[in-house]
Amino acid sequence: MEPLQVADKLKERFSEEVLDVREFRGQVSVTVKKGRILEICRFLHDDPDLYFDYLIDLCGADYLGKKENRFEVVYHLYSIRHRHALRLKAEVSERDIRIDSVMPVWVGVNWHERECYDMFGIVFAGHPDLRRVLLPEDWEGYPLRKDYPMKGPDKEYSGFVDVLERSKKYRQYDWYQ
Amino acid sequence: MEDIEKSFETKELTISLGPQHPATHGVLRLVLQLSGETIVKCTPYVGYLHRGVEKLGENRTYFAALPLTDRLDYISSMNNNVGYVNAVERLFGIEAPDRAKYIRTMVAEMGRISSHIVWLGTHVLDIGATTPFLLSMAQRERILDLFEMICGARLTVSYPRVGGVRNDISQEFLDQLYEFVLEFPAHMDTFETLVTENRIWKERTVDIGIISAEEAVNWGLTGGTLRGSGVDYDVRKYFPYDAYDKVEFDVPVGKKGDCYDRYLVRIGEMRQANRIIKQCIENLPAGPVMADAPKFTLPPKDMVLKDMEHLIHQFILITKGPSVPEGEIYVGSEVPKGELGFYFISDGTGKPYRMRVRSPSFIHASVLPRLSEGGLIADVIANIGTIDIVLGECDR
Amino acid sequence: MMAVYASHNDLDRMGIIPRGSPRQSDFMFVAGTVTKKMSEIVRRVYDQMPEPRYVISVGSCANSGGIFNTYSTVQGCDSFLPVDVYIPGCPPRPEAFIDGIIRLQEKIRNEQFRWSRWR
Repeated sequence: MEPLQVADKLKERFSEEVLDVREFRGQVSVTVKKGRILEICRFLHDDPDLYFDYLIDLCGADYLGKKENRFEVVYHLYSIRHRHALRLKAEVSERDIRIDSVMPVWVGVNWHERECYDMFGIVFAGHPDLRRVLLPEDWEGYPLRKDYPMKGPDKEYSGFVDVLERSKKYRQYDWYQ
Repeated sequence: MEDIEKSFETKELTISLGPQHPATHGVLRLVLQLSGETIVKCTPYVGYLHRGVEKLGENRTYFAALPLTDRLDYISSMNNNVGYVNAVERLFGIEAPDRAKYIRTMVAEMGRISSHIVWLGTHVLDIGATTPFLLSMAQRERILDLFEMICGARLTVSYPRVGGVRNDISQEFLDQLYEFVLEFPAHMDTFETLVTENRIWKERTVDIGIISAEEAVNWGLTGGTLRGSGVDYDVRKYFPYDAYDKVEFDVPVGKKGDCYDRYLVRIGEMRQANRIIKQCIENLPAGPVMADAPKFTLPPKDMVLKDMEHLIHQFILITKGPSVPEGEIYVGSEVPKGELGFYFISDGTGKPYRMRVRSPSFIHASVLPRLSEGGLIADVIANIGTIDIVLGECDR
Repeated sequence: MMAVYASHNDLDRMGIIPRGSPRQSDFMFVAGTVTKKMSEIVRRVYDQMPEPRYVISVGSCANSGGIFNTYSTVQGCDSFLPVDVYIPGCPPRPEAFIDGIIRLQEKIRNEQFRWSRWR
C-alpha cells in the first residue's frame, strides 16, 4: 500500500485523532493526539491490510518555543510483509507530560521508551520498568531538551564529584607527596 | 535427614558480570540472579559509554557530524559513514555519481567483512577456541591495510563524503583488493573447518538462545540476529541504496533461530560480501567521484587553495552549513550489526534540529534477558557473542 | 586495541599478558572514552590493583575527552587517575601502542625512588 493510502485509512478510522498529514521526499508522517495512541498502534499492528509488525524506532523531539505542544514522540513503523512504512507522531505538552506506553503491541519498544524518558523526561504510562537507561539513575536534568547546555549544567554530577574527592583523598598515600 | 537437606538448601545468588569483564565486548553490565547454574533473572545495564553523540550532532553542521559516526560502531566505521551520508544526501536531495556509489558499496562490504571477522574471532574466543581468533585477525589486518591505502586511517576512516567519496581510488588498491578477494574464500574454508562442524562448538551453540521469527520481529531485531530466525529482512534488498540494486547477492537466512543459525548466517554474509566486492571491482564505472551540487557539497581542496570563489564558498559551508530544505527524514542502512538508521529533523538551517541514531546494538542488548533467562550461565556468554553488540553504538 | 593482542603485533612478546582480574595486574590501559557513569568503576578497578601499579591512557578520548566535549564525558582520565604514559591518536595505531609500552618499561627501569627494589 502507498504510504498516503495508509494515512487515509488511518484518518478514516480515527478522524478526530489525526491532526496533520505531511509528505516529504516520499515519507509520510501523521501527527495524532496522544490520547488514544495505544488504540491507534494496536489498529495499525492488527489490521491485516496494514500489519505494521516491525517498529523501527521510537524517539522524542523537543520543539521549545516553536510549537504549542513542546514535545513530540515519533514512531517509525514498517511492515515487513506488505513493505510499507509510516511515521506516526504524537504531541505531548509540557504540562501534562504523559503518554501511554505501546509495549503491549511491540515488546521491543521497551528500551526506546526508557531512553526517551531518560533524555526528555516524557513519562510512559503503563511501562513496567521505567528507569533511566543510558545515564546514571541519580542524574539530574534531561540532556536532549533544548534548554539543557551541551556541556552540562554548572552543578557537577554528584557521583563524579565523589570520585574526584576520593582520588584527592588517596593521593596522600602516593610515594611522591 | 531434615538437617542435611537444610544444610544443602540452595539460595538464589546475585552476581554482577561486567562492566569491565573481558567477555562482555565492552562496558556492558549484567546483573544475574542464579539458582544453582540456572539464570532466574537477567538485567542488563548499559550507558557506560554514553557520550552524547545526538546532542553533539545537533550542535554541528551536517559535514562536521560525519566523524562522530565513526565512533559509534568503531569496528565497522565505514558502514556507519555510508549510512550517514546516504541519509544526509536523501535529505539534501542530491545523488552521488555512479563511480562513487560503486566505491561506497565496495568499501562498505569490506567493512562488513572486517566487522564479521572480529565478531567471529571474539565470539569463538569467548567460547574457548583461540586459534580462529589469531587466524581471523590476520585477515582483518589486510583489510585495514587496504583502508589505510585509500584514506590514511585504519579504523576511523571518514572516507565517504556527502555527495560522493573523498578521493578516487588507485589502480594499485584495486589490484591488491582483487588479490584479497580471490584468496578470501580459501581462508573462509579454513575457519569453517576449524569451527562449523566442531563438536564442542555445536554443543555450546545449537539450541541455545532460540527466538522465533514472529517474536524476533516484534522485538525489533535486525541484521544477522533477525535473519537467523528465518526472516529475510535486509535493508540492502528492501530499500536499495548505493549500488546494491546493481549487484547480485543472496541473503542467507537461518531456520531455527538459535546461536548456531546466527553463526551460519554471518558466515554466509561474509561470503556474499566477498561476492559483492568482486562484482564492484569488475563493473566499476569511470567518472567523477563527487556530485555536481555546489550548494550542498564541499568544493575540491585543490581549487580552494587556488581560487578565491571556492575559498569563500568553502568558508560559508563550513561555518554556516548548507541551506537545507525543511522537513524530516528517516533513512536506514544495513550495517554488520543490523539496521542503523538516521532520523533528521531539519528546520532550514545548516545544523540538524534533531539528529537521532537508531542503533541496532541497543535493541539487541535489550533482548538479552529474553534469550538468557532459563538457560545456564555459560550460555550467557554465547548469547552476548551471538547478538554481536558493540557498546559504543549501543550507548551513543 | 584488539589488533595489538592478535597475530600481527603480538603483545606477548613485549611481556604484556592480559589478565582477567585487576588483582593480578601490574598496569592498566584506560582505552576509550571515560564517561562520568564509568569513572567510579575505573577508579575502583585502579584501587583494586596491588602496588606497584601503573596506568596507560590510550587514545585522545581517554587523554583529554577528544571530540566528545559533552555533559556525560570526563575531560581526561587524569583528573582522577595518576597516568604514567599517554598514547595519542583516535584510535592509536598498534605501533604507537607498542611505543607507549616501551616508554613505560623504560620509565620503570629508570625509577629510583617511587617503587624501586630498595623500597
